[in-house]
Amino acid sequence: MHHAHIDKFSFMDSPVHRLDSRVKLLVALVFTAMVISLPGTSPGILACYAIGPFTILVLGKIPLRFAFKQVLLVSPFVLVLALSCPLYDKTPVMAAFGPWLGRITVGWMRCFTIIAKFIVTMLALMALVSTTRFSDLLAALQRLGVPKVLIVQLGFLYRYIFVLIDSAHHILRARESRRLRNLGFKAELKIAASMLGSLFIRSIDTAYRINLAMQGRGFDGKWRSLSKLQIRSCDVFFALTAVSFMLALQFFIKPVLQ
Amino acid sequence: MSKAIEIENFSYHYPDGTAALSDITLTVEKGQRVALIGPNGAGKSTLLLAMAGFIKGNGKVRIDGLEINRKNLKRIRTSIACCLENPDDQLFMPRLFDDVAFGPLNMGLETEQIKSRVSNALQTVGLAEMADKASHHLSAGQKRAAAIATVLSMTPSIITLDEPDGSLDPRNRNNLTKLLAGLSQTLIIATCNMNFAAALADRAILIDDGCVVADDIAAKIMMDSELMTAHGLEVPNKIR
Repeated sequence: MHHAHIDKFSFMDSPVHRLDSRVKLLVALVFTAMVISLPGTSPGILACYAIGPFTILVLGKIPLRFAFKQVLLVSPFVLVLALSCPLYDKTPVMAAFGPWLGRITVGWMRCFTIIAKFIVTMLALMALVSTTRFSDLLAALQRLGVPKVLIVQLGFLYRYIFVLIDSAHHILRARESRRLRNLGFKAELKIAASMLGSLFIRSIDTAYRINLAMQGRGFDGKWRSLSKLQIRSCDVFFALTAVSFMLALQFFIKPVLQ
Repeated sequence: MSKAIEIENFSYHYPDGTAALSDITLTVEKGQRVALIGPNGAGKSTLLLAMAGFIKGNGKVRIDGLEINRKNLKRIRTSIACCLENPDDQLFMPRLFDDVAFGPLNMGLETEQIKSRVSNALQTVGLAEMADKASHHLSAGQKRAAAIATVLSMTPSIITLDEPDGSLDPRNRNNLTKLLAGLSQTLIIATCNMNFAAALADRAILIDDGCVVADDIAAKIMMDSELMTAHGLEVPNKIR
């Protein structure tokens, strides 16, 4: 079965793809932290921050449509939170966005800021995962001191989530092919519980067989890896440019609320 | 010829008490290609697990002259490598290179040696260009070949394969047959597909209900239609 992989463009080649994964990961983390720490009333500066991930996506030849589609896929969770803000705070304020000036409530201002922060940070995340192979991200995390157990777990999650999704699809299809009438909520719930149980048992079986495969290849509980990460001058240049960009934006912050 | 595998009076019961293998005695010479044939649930996979030291039963199993026990297990695992039935279980790393390098890394080899082994193994199975691919991006045939590469990189003297032809189309099955035929290692191939077994094996061991029913030259066993039918198998179209 074919899945819509979030990292399907990470196997391409571009100057951004060739950058060291540790540098990209650290820049993405600092960028996200800075965006999140911006005051809740500064959409103007957020628009400037968006230039960062856009530049990376364009230089990495990642289709913007793809990036926005991924952002849209996870947006409902944030939209619920954001759209509840206008209900709680209806204090009127005057807001300026560049040359435009208008009356707005603090709640709406917060709503726009949450959505803007979400879009900018998600675009930064998409820029990272679309230009960095997952194996390199794991290697970067390992080199940055993340516990190996966590990295192994992440590796297995990435490898087997698709196998698990396939299994779930097969079970659902088998159920659908024999579902000739609606059995009512209670019966359907019981069937769903059985399907989940079946999926759980399959996962345990798979884990057992993976363990056999690992032991068969000499695994003794110690995780070893061949890491080929190397910081080059272009990585230093990228890191300096990114930091300068973020510092410049921080320096020029002007609260939108007047 | 020296002995690659020796099994003496080996029996194994599942935790619920069901007998999986009963009093198995057999010897496999080095370089032999043995087809382990039998119907579903005959005990073929369990016997392969016993050969690789994954299950402990009553009786003795020796690999390259070394008896399987806790002390010898690490050395034995470098002699005998097993390919599981589902290649997805065998390919657990984020990219193919890491999967093929997993065994050599655990053997404690030097980086350059590991890279050379990975490159050779991938070259042998025809996946040299796929080293940086994620395993879930490979096709079924490529996954099967990749699973074989993961054990080839350990340069074992014995390879066991559990239903390696499962869910492969004829072209991929032919490619796999050619690949396995080109290997110099002792091969133990558990399969229900008699055409596949006949194309590869010199010798066949027929297992049913956990017991060895027949053990002889592959052609001799597989052409015995009465024996094959009695054990839920079929006579292959062509014998090697």
